[in-house]
Amino acid sequence: MEEKRSAFFTIMLLSAIILIFTAADFIQGDRTFSETENKLLADRPEWSWDSLIEGKYTRDYETYLTEQFVGRDKWITVKTYLDLALQKQEINGVYLGADGYLIEQHLPGTYTDVEETKKLLLLDKLVKRWDATVMLVPTADNILTDRMPLWAPYYDQADFLEKAALQLGSEHYIDVYSALRRHAAEEIYYRTDHHWTTLGAWYGYLAWAESLGRRGDLYGKNAMQPVTADFLGTLQSKVNLDVQADSIFWFPETAEYPVTVTYDLKDIRSSCYEESYLKTKNKYGFFLDDNHAFIEIDTDYHNGKTLFVIKDSYANCFVPMLIPYYEKIYVMDLRYFNGRLFRFMEGYEPEEGMDVLVLYNCIHFLEDFAYLE
Amino acid sequence: MVFSSVVFLFRFLPLLFIVYYLVPGRGKNLVLLLGSLFFYAWGEPVYVLLMLFSTVSDYIHGRLLGRIRGKRAAKGILASSVLINLAVLCFFKYADFLIQTFNTVTGMSVPLLALPLPIGISFYTFQTMSYTIDVYRGEAKVQKNLLDFGVYVAMFPQLIAGPIVKYRDVEARLHNRKADVENISDGMKRFCFGLAKKVLLANNIGELWVLVSEMNPGEMSALTAWVGIFAYAFQIYFDFSGYSDMAIGLGEMLGFRFPENFRYPYISASVTEFWRRWHISLGSWFREYVYIPLGGNRKGRLRQLLNILIVWTLTGIWHGAGWNFLLWGLWFAFALVLEKLFFGKILSWLPKAVGIVYTMLVVLVGWVLFALESPGRILGYLRVMAGMGGRLADAEGFYLGRQYGVLFLIAVLAATPLFGRAAEGLRKSRTGPAIALYRFGEKVIPAALLLLAIAGIVDASYNPFLYFRF
Repeated sequence: MEEKRSAFFTIMLLSAIILIFTAADFIQGDRTFSETENKLLADRPEWSWDSLIEGKYTRDYETYLTEQFVGRDKWITVKTYLDLALQKQEINGVYLGADGYLIEQHLPGTYTDVEETKKLLLLDKLVKRWDATVMLVPTADNILTDRMPLWAPYYDQADFLEKAALQLGSEHYIDVYSALRRHAAEEIYYRTDHHWTTLGAWYGYLAWAESLGRRGDLYGKNAMQPVTADFLGTLQSKVNLDVQADSIFWFPETAEYPVTVTYDLKDIRSSCYEESYLKTKNKYGFFLDDNHAFIEIDTDYHNGKTLFVIKDSYANCFVPMLIPYYEKIYVMDLRYFNGRLFRFMEGYEPEEGMDVLVLYNCIHFLEDFAYLE
Repeated sequence: MVFSSVVFLFRFLPLLFIVYYLVPGRGKNLVLLLGSLFFYAWGEPVYVLLMLFSTVSDYIHGRLLGRIRGKRAAKGILASSVLINLAVLCFFKYADFLIQTFNTVTGMSVPLLALPLPIGISFYTFQTMSYTIDVYRGEAKVQKNLLDFGVYVAMFPQLIAGPIVKYRDVEARLHNRKADVENISDGMKRFCFGLAKKVLLANNIGELWVLVSEMNPGEMSALTAWVGIFAYAFQIYFDFSGYSDMAIGLGEMLGFRFPENFRYPYISASVTEFWRRWHISLGSWFREYVYIPLGGNRKGRLRQLLNILIVWTLTGIWHGAGWNFLLWGLWFAFALVLEKLFFGKILSWLPKAVGIVYTMLVVLVGWVLFALESPGRILGYLRVMAGMGGRLADAEGFYLGRQYGVLFLIAVLAATPLFGRAAEGLRKSRTGPAIALYRFGEKVIPAALLLLAIAGIVDASYNPFLYFRF
């Protein structure tokens, strides 16, 4: 009798779990967008015999059910905490480092020698044609080595950068790696995002100034002001953990004099900072209005100098610091540009010539640096 | 449809069982058959016809055998049934393998068929063959009811990945079965444990194997290689035995008793013992329908060794159409023959721990053959494991061991009878608190595992889209 009663309760408990979530899942409406995952969630697939026979209908239907499952975000959090309980130090390609640092994982051997060399030769061609300066910024895993989990593997960018310096020649290569290494204990990368911080970029700026023999004392470290204290970046989205938010800083001096910023040849604004992004999840978009194919900045410094920057998003918080040095700054993101680069640049080159700067982080450089002459 | 999915757990499962329990008497079989066909068609909307063909074909063969049992023509009908089953299996599973081999040998280039493998075909063809063979032998009665026979073949719990249920094991219950409260509760618990094995253990430790299997053996340390193949050993065990647990549990909820398929294989002290504990239903199928008909051990030593060789060649390629699977089967045949000849005797004199270590070594080498398909990678991997490939240990190996250390520990414990014995000990002790603890645990543990497994299933599709990746 006792056995029967116990069995009965077991059945009640386990079926309750299934039935309650089934019912709740039916009651709950579909969401179109997930804030946590920052993506559109799957919709109910359209029925057709063809799609059924191909097996597409049932596959899509499963994706739809899973992505719309009741309490999806909570379930994902449960799984993450289970991983933490199992003492895992990486989730979804992100290392859980010391001091609350989330560090994006780049495994050794991801890029072969041949791939590295190919990209460097392509870069070299640009450098030699335009007498350009190159800043390749290492990612956090190479700099914050003390904060990485014990024994955690990473793609060693020091070797790659040595190769780059050798290929490009020291007059074209700015050693950002050493500059950042020296300040590895400071807040030079975001804890929740894969970008370098404004402070990190500032150390990059010092290296730039020193290497080019320009004044590097236009802004002091202490002039940095916070614009937000609750930035949760892309790495936080990947691990979906409750972590301490980052602050984003800027140098107010860079906005002291009026500028005219033209985005993609049509959208004209009077600042290279966009405060509206601070209210969204993508707060790093504050700098240079997130990503654009081509940006023109006209400054109030009428010194007749022009700079052409070819860059990834690491440059977004860096470029504003160069405003006092140039009358005109052109900023190009090659991912959104399909034309012939050199011809395009020639179109913008004034008679007296222009400086050309290439700024990427190493990974984005290896992944995305490509152009047609 | 797989068990570890939202569509199964929160659509199919509740609906099927509610209807199944509500419908009275003979109607239950109709519900079960229609449900099972839907279950299969969900993943194989076309090949469901192939399964129906197999079912009807063996049903007819069975009826024919019933009419002319004992006559000479019966042999022909049995041969026809077996041939049709094997032809279907060969065509869908081995055609491309045979064409490829033929092309390699002759240097010709006959185009491949590139047919996708119908899910579960290796399981259900073996099941239906057991039926006609048993009817021919007079060990099972002819099934005149197509519905009951359809239920036997298509029944969703074991349809896709076994256990391979012999017809006579379920014969009586096809027509008349009952699941009481205790059966249902035991079945549910068993299902939860199986689901947890699959989702929480196999899938998680499988991530580690994915990492290692994608590395170049030339750049791997011995430590990494060992960590990797242990991860695979646990992945395949918990995946497969978890699936069997779920099947057995679901069967119990329906009133069936399926045979056990795994009995803690990794505690075996010899390879012979390992194969009595691993995928038992397949081993017993081959034993009954191949090994013994060939003469087993009754026709002299030499003949027995040959029989072992035949059975293990077949067992090897049953697992997949590839040379590595054949090699894998022969590797075990080799160990089994050695144990039959003299090594088993030696093992029995040695401490049990030695036997366990030896068995584990044989099995792990077997998994390398099983998991890595190309000869180059297999040899490279084995070399590294043997310490002939460079470094013995490196940071990467330590890192992987560190990340998965706790999971490994749980996996090792879960692969032994420890938890089961502890529970049994509590249940059988007659003291009040122990019983109370058992009663509490038998409800709360499966419930907690079920919840965690759901989290694992939902999380598997977690894929944040980082449009602002730059």
